[in-house]
Amino acid sequence: MSTARAKWIEALNTGDGSKITFEGEVPFGGGEVLRYRLENGLRVRLLVDRSAPVVSYFTWFGVGSRHEKPGKTGLAHLFEHLMFNETESLKAGEFDRKLEENGAESNAATWLDWTYYYESLPADRLSLAVELESDRMAHLVLREPQVASEKEVVANERRFRVDDDIEGTASELLYKTAYTVHPYHWPTIGWMEDIHNFSPEDCESFYRTYYAPNNAMVVICGDIKEKDVLAKIQKAYGPIPSSEIPFEDTHPEPPQLEERRVAIRKPTPTEKLYIGFHGPALGDADHAHLTVLNEILFGGRASRLYRSLVIEKELASDLRGWVATFRDPGLYELHFTARPGKTAAEIEAVLAEELDRAKKVPISEDELVRAKARLELSTLQSMETMSGKAEQIGFYETVLGDASVSFRRLEEYRRTTMGDVLRVARRYLVDRARTTIHVQPEEATSCAPASPRGTEAAE
Amino acid sequence: MTTRIELEGGALLYVEESHAIPLVEVVVSTRSGSAHDSVEKQGLFRTTLGMLRRGARDLTSHQIEDALDRLGSEISLDVNASISTVYGQVIERNLGPFIELFATLLESPTFPEDEFGRLKREIVADLIGARDNDRALAQRAFRRGLFRDHPYSRSAAGTIPGVESLTTDDARAEYRKHFVKGNIVIGFSGDISLEAAEKHARRLIRDIPDGPRLEDPVPPPAPIAGRRLVFVDKPERTQTQIVIGQLGTSPHDDDHIPLTVANAVFGGTFTSRLMREVRSKRGWSYGASSRLGIDRQRHSFAMVTFPAATDAAACIALQLELFTDLVEKGITARELAFIKRYLARSFAFEVDTASKRLHQALDVELLGLPANYYSGHVAQVEAVTLEQANTALKNRLTTRDLLVSIVGTASEIEGKVREAIPELGAHDIVPFDRD
Repeated sequence: MSTARAKWIEALNTGDGSKITFEGEVPFGGGEVLRYRLENGLRVRLLVDRSAPVVSYFTWFGVGSRHEKPGKTGLAHLFEHLMFNETESLKAGEFDRKLEENGAESNAATWLDWTYYYESLPADRLSLAVELESDRMAHLVLREPQVASEKEVVANERRFRVDDDIEGTASELLYKTAYTVHPYHWPTIGWMEDIHNFSPEDCESFYRTYYAPNNAMVVICGDIKEKDVLAKIQKAYGPIPSSEIPFEDTHPEPPQLEERRVAIRKPTPTEKLYIGFHGPALGDADHAHLTVLNEILFGGRASRLYRSLVIEKELASDLRGWVATFRDPGLYELHFTARPGKTAAEIEAVLAEELDRAKKVPISEDELVRAKARLELSTLQSMETMSGKAEQIGFYETVLGDASVSFRRLEEYRRTTMGDVLRVARRYLVDRARTTIHVQPEEATSCAPASPRGTEAAE
Repeated sequence: MTTRIELEGGALLYVEESHAIPLVEVVVSTRSGSAHDSVEKQGLFRTTLGMLRRGARDLTSHQIEDALDRLGSEISLDVNASISTVYGQVIERNLGPFIELFATLLESPTFPEDEFGRLKREIVADLIGARDNDRALAQRAFRRGLFRDHPYSRSAAGTIPGVESLTTDDARAEYRKHFVKGNIVIGFSGDISLEAAEKHARRLIRDIPDGPRLEDPVPPPAPIAGRRLVFVDKPERTQTQIVIGQLGTSPHDDDHIPLTVANAVFGGTFTSRLMREVRSKRGWSYGASSRLGIDRQRHSFAMVTFPAATDAAACIALQLELFTDLVEKGITARELAFIKRYLARSFAFEVDTASKRLHQALDVELLGLPANYYSGHVAQVEAVTLEQANTALKNRLTTRDLLVSIVGTASEIEGKVREAIPELGAHDIVPFDRD
């Protein structure tokens, strides 16, 4: 640690406030993430970036839907909504109003492993974020009218994201089927019945348990002065007591020993397939290798499956692959939309051939080069904005405890060999570990088999 | 500050330099778009642009895609009524070869017959697949109902019969018409110097023929008369998607900025009137907003909500009340002061990346916006008086002429929705998969 930094930290720590500890620097692109911790456990990560006069302020909580219990699903997400309500010193609606009045953009997100809140503000308005975020970490008011109204908002969010959306319905069903004991079994938004049943007491108990500084991390990225920011953080968050975070008693998902298939009917013109193979956790060395394989199979129009299914055989109109980025082993998800008049079975036959090939024959050197270049491009694209950088830092720190992983991932992609790709294909593309959701059109909305005028058959 | 450079033959270049990330964005736009499509051949311009990566000089489509990937680059398209844009992005160290490839695609597309047929079939499949998207269905019904025979009523992607009728000769002719120097504006943003940008821009247009800027074929749209309902009927909807609106404003109207400010009070932020009444107080819809579209001609004003099917009629009734209140009573001095602070301070996020700054400059150039549309935006917003904002509401919006478009299950709620719209005139029920 530099002498100057040691001196001003010492100065900050001379008062009665919560002591700040410097925990080192982590390289991040051309800069470095500075890591601090308050006595009450709050982790602080700073990235000084003067490329624009703005600042992004993320608060990450180490709680997501994985921390819920059956019958109480969706609580972590409902809570994300409630955090924009009343505090002991701010009436309902004032939180957003203060931010807007100062030109801030703000939002929040919840997923399986985490929840975050962010504000992006003009750089000279940083104090407001410190003030508002520390306030709602400690002084939220959870009363019946707000809880009831927010439950309705979330029920409506569920309708458009899941119930009336084919991909949302199928994705929920995929995880519900692929996981039997691990909490990834239920959706982050929660089952509708659970959403309707939450009480203010459920919310209060959740808040007191998980919304504490020792379960949180503040990431600040932008045109900031390190010392000034820390002084503000220390003053605002220092008095907040830490809580006892419950020991997480999660059962690992047992190996899947046989393929699972579910078929549903929907008012859609075309068949769809949602497939999940049990894959690696984000922190597993295989994760980067499987991501490279995914690029070769699905990344861009020169990828194997795009060429085969869209261009050569014209069976699919849309396809995607994604290796879930979760703390515990997630799914390697494959999505396909059939062309009008084509069937999911035709797609599955081609997919089987391609996956078999991936397991038997090494990829080419050229494919490896292209996949790595595409992954480098997408990594850089995710860092184009201040909030993009803050999100990357917070995500890797929260899930893996290390902000530098986002750049180390690039190194892992670069080091990936043809042998690595062949090995992960054999390890994860296993039929018995596969779950398939097959969406079929209802009679009235299906497109007849393709013919020269086939597309009009649906009209 | 974005730099503007005049190139040969009337082509223009805009450059916005930033070395924060080793990426370069390359944009090639035309001052013309899908409004040039004929009614019979809707989708022609977008399909034509789609062919630029399907074969060029001696390169096949597959070789082009391989090369793009190898360079760590991407190309994508955005076509709307008045302008079109081919976006490229590349890792900085590969910029030189990327420009060579991009230039080849622009100057020597080959329009192979088999690729053309394949692209048309892909577009038709996408048009059918779009029936899964309720929000897009509601937006389309709104656009068609509001603009009717006007070019703004159409989607750049086209119609199934329109796309099926296209030939490679159509595409070649369309390409020759639009891709002439006088009709082209190039933009660079990111990790590139001004000198390098100018050199690469000249390479991009080197073999593009001379030719004039295309005239905009779009007349001013005519307002609708009365209150109308278009109900897009889809089975099993637990929720509705609703768009309510009318014609809004043109960026050249004197009261455009005052109306923009008043609209922000009504539905432009998380604490706006619509959001507060529909979401915060009643929990009826996850989102509730209003916006003013802009183009060269007067465009739309639209409110968007998505309540549960059981709340749809009540939500429409509430929105009509709120809208009537807005037009008749206007906004308050307190609301005006608040929204000015929001709009002025949040402008930092309209210009916080090189790409955003570049696209503001391109918008001004390509849409022919007033020169200070963005650069003077904050000052203009701050100068808006209460009287100007409320006069703009009365001058530009009316409670008489409104179009309501909704996606839902008609057998369950259509009657209640009709009852929720006082003085409703024409109303149609349209199957969601009619086209």
